[in-house]
Amino acid sequence: MGRYAIRRLLQLVPVVLGTTFIINYMVWQLPGDPFAGRCGQRPCPDSYVTAMREQFGLDQPILLQYWNFLKNLLTGNLGTDFNGVSVATQLADAWPITIRLALMAVAFEALIGIGAGVLSGLKRGGFIDNVVTISTLFLLSLPIFVTGYLLQWVLGVQFGVIEPTVSDAATIPELIVPALVLASLNMAFTARLTRTSIVENLRADYVRTAVAKGLSNRRVVGVHLLRNSLIPVLTFLGTEVGSLMSGAIITEGIFNIHGIGGLLWRAINGQDYTIVVPVATLLVLVYLITNLLVDLLYGVLDPRIRYE
Amino acid sequence: MTEVLSEQVGRGSHGGALLEVDNLHVEFRTRAGVAKAVNGVTYSVDAGETLAVLGESGSGKSVTAQTIMGILDMPPGKITGGEIRFRGVDLLKLPEDQRRKIRGEGISMVFQDALSALNPVFPVGWQIAEMFRTHRGTSRAEAKKKAIELMDRVRIPAAKDRVNDFPHQFSGGMRQRIMIAMAIALDPEILIADEPTTALDVTVQAQIMGLLAELQRDSNMGLILITHDLGVVADVADKIAVMYGGRIVEHATVHDLYKSPAHPYSKGLLESIPRVDHKGKELYAIKGLPPNLLEMPTGCAFHPRCPYRRDNCVTDVPPLYTISGTRGSACHYWREVIDEG
Repeated sequence: MGRYAIRRLLQLVPVVLGTTFIINYMVWQLPGDPFAGRCGQRPCPDSYVTAMREQFGLDQPILLQYWNFLKNLLTGNLGTDFNGVSVATQLADAWPITIRLALMAVAFEALIGIGAGVLSGLKRGGFIDNVVTISTLFLLSLPIFVTGYLLQWVLGVQFGVIEPTVSDAATIPELIVPALVLASLNMAFTARLTRTSIVENLRADYVRTAVAKGLSNRRVVGVHLLRNSLIPVLTFLGTEVGSLMSGAIITEGIFNIHGIGGLLWRAINGQDYTIVVPVATLLVLVYLITNLLVDLLYGVLDPRIRYE
Repeated sequence: MTEVLSEQVGRGSHGGALLEVDNLHVEFRTRAGVAKAVNGVTYSVDAGETLAVLGESGSGKSVTAQTIMGILDMPPGKITGGEIRFRGVDLLKLPEDQRRKIRGEGISMVFQDALSALNPVFPVGWQIAEMFRTHRGTSRAEAKKKAIELMDRVRIPAAKDRVNDFPHQFSGGMRQRIMIAMAIALDPEILIADEPTTALDVTVQAQIMGLLAELQRDSNMGLILITHDLGVVADVADKIAVMYGGRIVEHATVHDLYKSPAHPYSKGLLESIPRVDHKGKELYAIKGLPPNLLEMPTGCAFHPRCPYRRDNCVTDVPPLYTISGTRGSACHYWREVIDEG
């Protein structure tokens, strides 16, 4: 297990190098000059553009730029954005909000998705099963921005149950609806995955043994059946935490949440690569680390798995 | 000795045996039609007694056992008639919560394939301890201690070190021992073993059978041993019920049945055991296939495969003829079969 973890960590090195290089390369290759449009109605003077390019190292060859990026990343020096504001400060402000939003979304996925999946799997073909099947299909077929704008309009504008946009503080009650929107697709998928897994395991021999042991129905389902059925579900939820954070870009945009997604969104529109690159890099790292954790957790969930 | 004990313990105030299956009928309602899996099965087991239920797959032997345990999948299964009396009380009429208490405490079951019958994600000790914790409310530590004692009792080497291991870390024989430890944890009065040795090596089979027989002797349990292997039962069983097409076609003491079977099917089973003195000769096999439960043959279900068949076998269902107090055969021509045997 320990050796496996170390090997997996070492495997991350080339992946991190490769992905960050691609991010750097792509971003600096995008058309349009990031400094040309920064002087209001007039085109910027050449001297200003040249000075800025020099200041941010854009005149250097790409490999050297990448080397400097890595050096700065490892020393924790993320510099300033094009407006001279510290990138590290902006990340520190935005990151906790996105983490809060993502964790709430995962909680909804787990509670509602697993709950609905278990109920529908236990009574296959029953009323709840039909409701769950139809509503998950509904959620799965709606793009996330439709769900988002719809809820914002219905709950925020029409009925006034929530504020249509989230304040700077981004408190937990404010984030409930955005987190539900962010969770919607994965929640529907979780419900379906749980249902399939429950149906499959319900006929397993060990469930019959549990009944024959004279255990209560509650214990047969809640302990023996659920513990086995949740293995693929928890694995799915874990691997999706990373993509949830990048998926937050759309949700944060809709509800005006000042998280990592909002930051990235504004930076891309403003062609401010000093923000885009570290944020994208962070998202990559989060994805890789959650994946590693899930792989290690898998062995805890299913003792039959051996790490070699 | 066993006989005397069973008289005292088994026959309580209700007058019958400890466990009595009485004219049980079970059907499976499938899309293809109604499969009559169990058609009027009657047998009984007393404390300290071993009944071997013999038959090929589809003969209804396992379905009967599952109905006794109350773990039959319903639907598609449906109990259409009969009684299962345990200490004189009809289990089929008991509400579910009372039935649940009997499972594990009164009647317990060992399944065929221990690898799939044990829960893969819990340690074996935990699974044994669960019996004490749920039925008796025993504390975690105490239950674990008892689990280790049980693992010792079924002779798992180094039980103390292995109590936290998972089922997949054990060999097939050891897994079956764990299954047995779990089944006998609460000292049940009846133990049903459904093909407990089918998935095991021959040498391990003998060990497991020996263990079952020993445990049964020690705690005076009634044992129902379900098997398709006549070789397995000879040493262990007191009496045998042979099932075919959901019916008992012959019941007898082990001695009588081995000496001279009274039903052509039992005779066929005995003849298909490989024997040293028949070396070089072709092994006997019963002709034909087991009956299709959706379309049972008319008359005697065995008639399409029977060497003793006469015209009336095709039309008349043979009743279970009484041969002696302990013996019966569902063959019109049982006299002929016995005489030849």
